[in-house]
Amino acid sequence: MSTPIVTPEVDETVDLQAAPLEPWQVVVWNDPVNLMSYVVRVFRTYFGYSTEHATTLMLSVHHDGHAIVATGPRETMEVHAQAMHDYGLWATVRKAPQ
Amino acid sequence: MSLAVVEGIHLAGLVDEFESILTTQDDAPDPGLTRLTPDPYPEDSDASREFSSATHDDLLDRRRADAVLVRAGLAPFLTTAAEDLAEDDALAPRDVEIPVLEIDAWLRTLTALRLVIATRLDITSDDDDHDLEDPRFGIYDWLGFRLDGLIALADAADERPA
Repeated sequence: MSTPIVTPEVDETVDLQAAPLEPWQVVVWNDPVNLMSYVVRVFRTYFGYSTEHATTLMLSVHHDGHAIVATGPRETMEVHAQAMHDYGLWATVRKAPQ
Repeated sequence: MSLAVVEGIHLAGLVDEFESILTTQDDAPDPGLTRLTPDPYPEDSDASREFSSATHDDLLDRRRADAVLVRAGLAPFLTTAAEDLAEDDALAPRDVEIPVLEIDAWLRTLTALRLVIATRLDITSDDDDHDLEDPRFGIYDWLGFRLDGLIALADAADERPA
């Protein structure tokens, strides 16, 4: 165990509310063209999800019409949406409902 | 992957057509192309425009790069024109070697071809019936069959130790 040599000066006046880190989401929507095996593969290889998780997501897209496949900062979600478009999946970006 | 010679020839023709759609600069873009560049912000037209102007051309460039790889992989099929082939030769299977790094380009391109054809056939819901009289449905289903086979091969390749 050790104690810090210097105590950092903390600016107590910083207002974190001023720049809230609101989470955004990538939503993939059902379409009648893309093969189930393909959608699972894209979720697995692009996001690094397990086959099981990728399959669960694919089934929600298929049965519920859509699934949230990623959550995080807006810029990152836009990169993911672009990648989904590259793969021919129908993806949108939205602010996570509060 | 193994394809009959005549399949390879037809697939190369489809990829050629696809590349020309991607390259055509038109004020009224092909509806199939619209499906390949979906609107990520359907409820926010400003964000949508911004996203589209930043990404649209790059996305089409990547599609073209994918198509070029696939087309090059099919070159060995194009030694004889389809109409000059004897039936036995046309149906003879021939292997296509796809390097692991190019598998995604193949999967994306076959998928894109199906999406474009589906747009033309107006396939918009899971319940749309196939009109068996329309030969384009045959092409659509054939591409789906080959794509599914290629996905199985790609998944199996992922499970092999490198």
